[in-house]
Amino acid sequence: MKQYDSKFKWLILFPIVFYCLFLIVLPLLYIFIISFFQNDYYGGIIQVFTIKNYIQILDIVYLKVFLQSFLIAFITTIICICIAYPFSLFVSEKKSRYKSIFLMLVIIPFLTNSLIRTYGWIVLLRKEGLINTLLFQLHLIDEPLALMYNSLGIIIGMVYTLLPFMILPVYSAVDKLDRSMLEASSDLGASKWQRFIHVIIPETLPGLFNGSLMVFIPAIGYFFISDLLGGGKLMLLGNLIKNQFLVARNWPFGASVSIVLIIITFFLVKLYKKTGGKMDDLGGF
Amino acid sequence: MNKKIIVILIVAIILMNGCALKENTNVLNVLNWSSYIPDAVIRDFEEETGIIVNYGTYSSNEECLAKVQSAKEGTYDLIFPSDYMIELMIKRDLIQKMDLSQLANLGNINPNYLGLSYDKNNEYSIPFIAASVVIAVNRDMVKDDVTTYQDLLAKEYRNNIVMLDDQRIVIGMALLALGYDMNETDPLKLTEARDWLLELKPNIKAYDSDSPKTFLISRETALGVIWNAEAALAVQENPNIEIIIPDEGFAISIDNFAIPKNAKHVENAYRFIDYILRDDIMVKIIEDYPYKNVNKKAEDSLPESYLKNHAANIDDAVFHRGSFVENIGEDIVHYDKLWAEIK
Amino acid sequence: MKKKKFLKNLFIGLVLFFLYLPILVLVLYSFNTSKLNILFEGFTLKWYLVLLENRSLLEALGNTLFVAVTSTLVSTIIGTISAIALKKYRFFGRSVLNELLYIPIVIPEIVLGIALLSIYTFFHIELGLHTLILSHIAFSLPFVVVSVRSVLNSLDPHLEEASSDLGASPIKTFFHITLPAVMPGVISGALLAFTLSLDDVVISYFTAGPGSNTLPLKIYSMIKTGITPDVNALSSLILLVVITILTLSTVIKIRQSGKEKAYE
Repeated sequence: MKQYDSKFKWLILFPIVFYCLFLIVLPLLYIFIISFFQNDYYGGIIQVFTIKNYIQILDIVYLKVFLQSFLIAFITTIICICIAYPFSLFVSEKKSRYKSIFLMLVIIPFLTNSLIRTYGWIVLLRKEGLINTLLFQLHLIDEPLALMYNSLGIIIGMVYTLLPFMILPVYSAVDKLDRSMLEASSDLGASKWQRFIHVIIPETLPGLFNGSLMVFIPAIGYFFISDLLGGGKLMLLGNLIKNQFLVARNWPFGASVSIVLIIITFFLVKLYKKTGGKMDDLGGF
Repeated sequence: MNKKIIVILIVAIILMNGCALKENTNVLNVLNWSSYIPDAVIRDFEEETGIIVNYGTYSSNEECLAKVQSAKEGTYDLIFPSDYMIELMIKRDLIQKMDLSQLANLGNINPNYLGLSYDKNNEYSIPFIAASVVIAVNRDMVKDDVTTYQDLLAKEYRNNIVMLDDQRIVIGMALLALGYDMNETDPLKLTEARDWLLELKPNIKAYDSDSPKTFLISRETALGVIWNAEAALAVQENPNIEIIIPDEGFAISIDNFAIPKNAKHVENAYRFIDYILRDDIMVKIIEDYPYKNVNKKAEDSLPESYLKNHAANIDDAVFHRGSFVENIGEDIVHYDKLWAEIK
Repeated sequence: MKKKKFLKNLFIGLVLFFLYLPILVLVLYSFNTSKLNILFEGFTLKWYLVLLENRSLLEALGNTLFVAVTSTLVSTIIGTISAIALKKYRFFGRSVLNELLYIPIVIPEIVLGIALLSIYTFFHIELGLHTLILSHIAFSLPFVVVSVRSVLNSLDPHLEEASSDLGASPIKTFFHITLPAVMPGVISGALLAFTLSLDDVVISYFTAGPGSNTLPLKIYSMIKTGITPDVNALSSLILLVVITILTLSTVIKIRQSGKEKAYE
């Protein structure tokens, strides 16, 4: 019986072990290894150890790309918080039937193709697009506004695409707030702002960090948004990696940028755990 | 009850899987430039031959190279690299020798475009179409004279230029503007080119190789440094768009059919090439994507609109003033870095 | 007080307006007679007919659905079994396995995309539908595990013991006791996997091959080379399907909870 059970155990564990080995460990290990290889000038990988790729990242040109990316991702995250937090608070005050309707309304756009929605923004934002045409006809502007093919366009696109990833965790944190505790604190004479800062914010912090992680990290890698709304002028880390792999044929360098990105991600996740965030909450919406 | 449904679903999926993954022998995996061959032509080919065409696209020669190199050998059956890329792919042993006897319509090609320096005996490549870089100016929006790349630096064109997203072409343009060779590798001259491009940067609205005409047609930008066919299509939509051949020189390119090493459907690739080489098919392609024609037999039946459009029908004498992009070996790393700096 | 409530509602309204604005534009323009998405010139339904003729777009839609259904099914089955096994058994490397599963959830998609591409290249695996399915399983499986696990954690641990004490085989226990209990987690995990797969751009971009274009990839290249209104028509139809399904499920939920209340 015991032996049977052990065999059964490994049989049902086999798929997940296989998955972890071949679809997670091996690919990432391979990337790690080639990040220490040299490249020949047209696409080949030479198996000679070097740390040149990591030194190359320190070049001012590529540091700038890191900086730009983090700045855009950071701004996106902040804007998402500024929208999602009050939104969640206000919705959580509604009756439960309306709550689920509002949440459904947030999820619906998320279920339609994100590229086609990005295209919707192009129709709206371009020079002779709907917004500029409307503002012009209302005589609010004389010159069309530059709403896309710049960093503004990228940020609009990022905020739009990633907003649900912020709203869902923040909302679930806000909704779990203990109403009676809030009432108690106000009975004790705490002012609205005091209550907000000392009770609501600390209680919802893990949800906030969860959402920030789910917005910040993708915002670094979504090359298609900066491609389509940024006009290919602003290079983000996603574009840099994509270019190294699909255009500039320097896989070792692209791999080293990816490794640095993974390290940064792990660092952020550690920070998240430190503030009391649970890993399982990251994957569950 | 639930279990039954799940079992039925699983069986259905496995069956679907079996059908979809069954190796379809009669296919052709084409990797081509975006905006190059009209869908209708490919549909007609499929109907005529029963071959199913799987079509992938790229936006620069470098992307084509990267895709061919990273995919398993034999993934693609037909690719369309330009001159210098043909030379490089021969050196790298990425494309195979062609059996010209398979191509009944080979004689249709204008002999002036055969036996060029990148593949002297056309052992590996057959020319498909030629192109040259031009400046397009929307005269509704720009009144001043524009005759050179230098003119593009004018302050009033701020955020008003669409530029090809191709490092060799853009850096080459800067070198030409400074009076150097388009394929210069001297680091000092490249630094000058970088500074020139940084000066131009505020004027550039977007880098786009896939459909820069859209920027001109929708008046998003007044100027463009783009391939001639894109300019020609913009002129068709708006006759006030003018085409300028830059005084300092310009890049030209000849794109070719080539068959990658160990391609699995070589027969089908030949049938496709031969089909495209037919004069009536070439005319159809040229009507939709008016590049410079290299098919002699097709010349007689080219539409009036094409012949009259200066952007489309680049004059032979003008074309020969342009220069090809050349392989620069390891110096490509300087170009890679410079490109990251200006973007 | 009234004014405050109005301001709050206004804010909710504005956020929803922001979320729906581009979608409304697309739906509107799917009825536009002009081919260019610039001015609204007149009402027509012709793009819905044109859509039926657009073979490459429909093919991409077919590929997308096929990849999404297959990868969801595989990751749901493996994910559910694994979540249960990981909870039940103690073995060497269990905690490592648990940690590894978070990697695809947290690392940027692009890193996973290039890593998978490199490994396919390394093993000379031809890119196509199968690599696409494999890659989609790679990023969606952990979500299923996490989703099932969250339900498992709230279950009574003695349930399974009781069943095996009564002489049920592990397989029987699994199908009759554990699986029904974790079903809500399985369903929400599967839905999440399905949604992520349907809309994936980044990983598909690196791991698709010739003849395995998905809808997001097709639309990406169409946006770059010129989009036609039949894409708007397709998106409007997809939106219609999504809204119908969600509305139905909500109505059913509300009715069920109504019934439960009636029983109480």
